Amino acid sequence: MLFAIVLLLTIGCIVFVLVREAKGVPRPDGLRGRIRDRGWGLLLLPVAMSAAAMAGGARGLIPAELGLAALAIIFAPKLAARLVPYGVLGLAVFGVHLANEYNNGFTSQTQYLFVHVVSRGPAQVPAGAGLVPAEAGALFVVGLWLLLRLDALGSGPVRTLAARWLNRCRGGISAAHALLLIPVAGLTMQLLGPGNWFGIQAVDGLDAAVIDLAVATAALVLIFRSRVWAATLAAAGLLVLGAYGWVITVFWPAVPGFAYGFSDLHNSPVPAPLWTDALEGSILLAAGLWLAPRVMRHHLADLPDPELAARARHLTQRVQTLTETRHDALDTAAAELRRIERDLHDGAQARLVAVGMSLQAAQRLFPASPEAALALVAEAKESSSLALTELRDLVRGIYPPVLADRGLADAIRALALDTPLPVELDLDLPGEVELPVASAVYFSVAEALANVTKHAGARTVRIQLSYSSGMLRAQVTDDGSGGADPALGSGLAGVERRLATFDGILAVSSPPGGPTILVIEVPCASSSPKISSC
Amino acid sequence: MRVVIAEDLFLLREGLVRLLTAHGFEVVAAVASAPELLRALLDERPDVGIVDVRLPPTHTDDGLRAALQARRQVPGLPVLVLSQYVEQLYARELLADQAGGVGYLLKDRVFNDEAFTAAIRSVAAGGTVLDPEVVQKLMVRHSRTEPVTRLTPREHDVLALMAEGRSNTAIAQRLFISEKAVSKHAAGIFAKLDLALSDDDNRRVLAVLAYLES
Repeated sequence: MLFAIVLLLTIGCIVFVLVREAKGVPRPDGLRGRIRDRGWGLLLLPVAMSAAAMAGGARGLIPAELGLAALAIIFAPKLAARLVPYGVLGLAVFGVHLANEYNNGFTSQTQYLFVHVVSRGPAQVPAGAGLVPAEAGALFVVGLWLLLRLDALGSGPVRTLAARWLNRCRGGISAAHALLLIPVAGLTMQLLGPGNWFGIQAVDGLDAAVIDLAVATAALVLIFRSRVWAATLAAAGLLVLGAYGWVITVFWPAVPGFAYGFSDLHNSPVPAPLWTDALEGSILLAAGLWLAPRVMRHHLADLPDPELAARARHLTQRVQTLTETRHDALDTAAAELRRIERDLHDGAQARLVAVGMSLQAAQRLFPASPEAALALVAEAKESSSLALTELRDLVRGIYPPVLADRGLADAIRALALDTPLPVELDLDLPGEVELPVASAVYFSVAEALANVTKHAGARTVRIQLSYSSGMLRAQVTDDGSGGADPALGSGLAGVERRLATFDGILAVSSPPGGPTILVIEVPCASSSPKISSC
Repeated sequence: MRVVIAEDLFLLREGLVRLLTAHGFEVVAAVASAPELLRALLDERPDVGIVDVRLPPTHTDDGLRAALQARRQVPGLPVLVLSQYVEQLYARELLADQAGGVGYLLKDRVFNDEAFTAAIRSVAAGGTVLDPEVVQKLMVRHSRTEPVTRLTPREHDVLALMAEGRSNTAIAQRLFISEKAVSKHAAGIFAKLDLALSDDDNRRVLAVLAYLES
């Protein structure tokens, strides 16, 4: 009873400490802080206590061991924490030993953790002894887990072995693996067959035949329908049956050991059959350990990973966005090409036709009237000059020459110079951004400036350009009348579409009465500064 | 007059050489890239260098940068920069050293060979010649700023022609007014823009430009 209280208190303490730690609550001062520092080391208390209690009878041990544990926890908390897993594993081993002793006729009453074994007289298995191996198994698992969790000495090899075991058998599950279900089913049929089944005379004759038939049918159906589940069941069965073979070997005769594979404890004298039981159990365990990682890997891979699902959702969304922006980009590009074609057709092309016609007429007129011919040549010259002007404007609209020559910062500088308003510039661009992005940002700023000039009635404009951690940011601020809305004018909506192609965004704040702030942000890479060479 | 020509397109280069030779210029070097241009300008020390902005190796503004570098090494080395497009940004860079002997024209201006050769001679003589398109942009830019709005339309025209590097005589001819009237307008402009009067044509232009560029 005392032990249970100490154990529960300690576990409560540790859970509290770990939860606070996981939540990132800062370490308090005083007693609570000092307790928290001890963390896992506190577990040494119940471990020491149970060890002392199990030493049997010598009650003076309990205060002595508890005192030692408390000293270790207080003065060497790290050492105390490291000792815990070994203590737990030691208790587990002792549990196994104790269970074996009871089976061999050891009848002294002992407290083993929560189990108090009471003697029922000589040569009888005492009450509660059956729970001892269960507790020992649980302790063994906890001890191993603590060994890994606390990184105690010896956790390295365990970890390596576990990883190596899990990494074995990277291949898939074949029909051969599924067929391993047959021996498992066979052994199960034998164990469930007629006879004393864990002390209960339950199945016999027809019942056993029906069970056998059901198991065999189920195994065959499973092998043919789903080799994965057949292999899974085979792996689990191999491990369980293999362990059962060892349980028979160790705890016989406490555990009924009837026919197990090729050995039969009913009809043969001991210990020869025990030896075959151990061998058979080992073979089954080995096969199970060989098959288990393959099956586990398969099922883990099949599990719907929440992270993966989130990724899939994100990707779906991304594909949708990309489809939309690509559509917009293609539309914009097509419209642009149409505009260029029309401009060329009505502009430069027409002018060049006019040049050709004028020169043709001049050629014809020259012998008769050189004066008139000269006038025509002058006209042709004029036309070609106009054609050049139109081509120049067209090129500017496609790709501004300064942007090609000097990059974004200087292109915006040139833009500011061409704006009939005082423009304040704050350009801080460490390198050069990719050309398509630079072009999109340039035209966006140009559109913003054109709007300011046309509509805002502003006195000054301020352009800021900066780049930080993969994000190009441009801001155009004017002190005009405000009221700009991307939803109303087609200009800003076009800017939005143009930027969306590069995952860029446009944000406009323009309350009536101003000021208008227009922000453009585009994610992009920036190269190192261009080295001027000449 | 000794001239260096830098133009990467063969047809245009040959056309320029033919045009200038026909007008009595001596073409001492006709090159096709920026490094060659820089060498030619520094070795030949021509009376004027005629430079295309866009030249190899990078086909961006190599020509302009070579011309600027040459002028840094030989201050006032006369350079006439030609381009398919004109930018105030480049005009500002060319004028920045205030040394004169600078021209910046659209390539189409070659069509008018008389005006073109006049511009070359003006640059060679240390004058400043800006393309009307640049001047127009400058004017538009400052059309709303306070002092420029005080100019009369006629003074505005005179200011524009001055920025194009024209002499008083040329301005008078162009506007069909007397040279005296031009001087009067010029004085009016300088007074309104608070600029000190100067006899030197180039200084006058630079003063105007310095004001407009501010």
